[in-house]
Amino acid sequence: MTDPLSKAATATAIAGAVMSGKVKASAVVDATLARIEAAESTINAFTDVVAERARKRAAEIDSGLHRGPLLGVPFAVKNLFDIAGLPTRAGSKINIDGPKAARDGALVRKLEAAGAILVGALNMGEYAYDFTGENIHYGSSRNPRDTTRMSGGSSGGSGAAVAAGEVPLALGSDTNGSIRVPSSLCGLFGLKPTYGRLSRAGSFPFVDSFDHLGPLARSAEDLALSFDAMQGWDSDDPVCTDRPVDPTLPRLIEGVDGLRIAIAGEYFARGGEPEAFEAVATVAKALGATKTVILPQAAAARAAAYVITAIEGAQLHLPRLRTRPQDFDPDTRERFMAGALLPGAWYVKAQRFRRQYRAHVLKLFEEVDVILAPATPCTAPKLGQTMMKLDGVELPVRANLGVFTQPISFIGLPVAVAPLQRPGGLPIGVQLIAKPYNEQAALRVAAHLQKVGVATAPPA
Amino acid sequence: MAQEKPDVARMVEEGAKIVGLTIAPEYRANVILNVERSLLIARPLLELELEDELMSSPVFRP
Repeated sequence: MTDPLSKAATATAIAGAVMSGKVKASAVVDATLARIEAAESTINAFTDVVAERARKRAAEIDSGLHRGPLLGVPFAVKNLFDIAGLPTRAGSKINIDGPKAARDGALVRKLEAAGAILVGALNMGEYAYDFTGENIHYGSSRNPRDTTRMSGGSSGGSGAAVAAGEVPLALGSDTNGSIRVPSSLCGLFGLKPTYGRLSRAGSFPFVDSFDHLGPLARSAEDLALSFDAMQGWDSDDPVCTDRPVDPTLPRLIEGVDGLRIAIAGEYFARGGEPEAFEAVATVAKALGATKTVILPQAAAARAAAYVITAIEGAQLHLPRLRTRPQDFDPDTRERFMAGALLPGAWYVKAQRFRRQYRAHVLKLFEEVDVILAPATPCTAPKLGQTMMKLDGVELPVRANLGVFTQPISFIGLPVAVAPLQRPGGLPIGVQLIAKPYNEQAALRVAAHLQKVGVATAPPA
Repeated sequence: MAQEKPDVARMVEEGAKIVGLTIAPEYRANVILNVERSLLIARPLLELELEDELMSSPVFRP
């Protein structure tokens, strides 16, 4: 069994050890803080460490004040989550001048109510308009598998911190792929739940139409454990579902029995490097999946997601673009400015198309339960790399790392990422896509792939 | 009928005035580049024909 104080320990293992009294929560927190201190000069995943708060919480747990399924599990959150007493940076310099958060974001409160211990806030691309993990204000978060390479973004610190073993669990946000891209590039399990499934209250927004929050972890069980603890209606988020909590962890034991699994063809089978499609083929083989399905008009879905993102994001930041343009990261500023100038008719058309595309894709789920697709078109690019070649075509890195994730989050489908470590190479992830509110199916496939050794956590 | 190539630089200049945005000269080339990229990426959406009856969902329920 993995040592609960080691960097390879999962949240499940730590909670089990703390609950059984094998280890004190204070010892877990001390080991975590020591690992963060040792790793940060190379990884740069954290922007804030709340050591005093974490030690106090751990002492309370050790004195029996708190219980819960995540007892003693250290976690950190992308710095767009509110943390009481800290400014909510959202990757920006501008937000530091804003008010400090009066209380923790909804999901931070839920994880702590389940016994987990917040240890800090994580680096991210400015205002989440990013797939790279680069940030001019706080430096780039680095990929632990190769620190000259991108972590992926915009939840770059979340991916880097978990992959480096600094924390077993991190929360990120995913508007167009910002959990799935770092999960793929850092080689982690990640979950973007159904749109509206988890409360976004107390997090800094980006694109209301697509913003999702979710976990990154070292195992499928940890995704299910944390997702279950975070479910539930919240009146503070206008799109949060009032569906009852539907635990996924007890269902992992069912494996893939009865699940109909297919591979996404056409759009999702081109425009990437061979390793992206080899990963899908490896996963399909392990699952015995041979059927191919076509998500109709996926290219238009990606285009519509791009348009809605550009226009909603620009509208949100227009006051700051007018008054403090010099304080933005240049890589986001000029994209936001461009978005402010795009025609409103494009936006309305994109929103109308969204409903049509949703209907077409939901029809596919009458025949299948889980669809496989690449998470990223390539493994981690080099830090600072601006262009990449996909299928022989030179394309901008920033706009294209999410080509396979955007058509999925566009209609809010739940997706788990299964990481393939590719010994001798760099990791890459496969999207396990399910119909709305069917996270359990995607997580069961992820757990099965983990069980048979196809999807694994990065080496500790 | 062939579509005339849009003058993106002029669109950026005039559009910025309309939305009350001052684009410093050193940002201008990149803003133009990003609008041009947007035109390219949006094309599959813009080329679609949608039924008149198709309505969006004001509160989106997946």
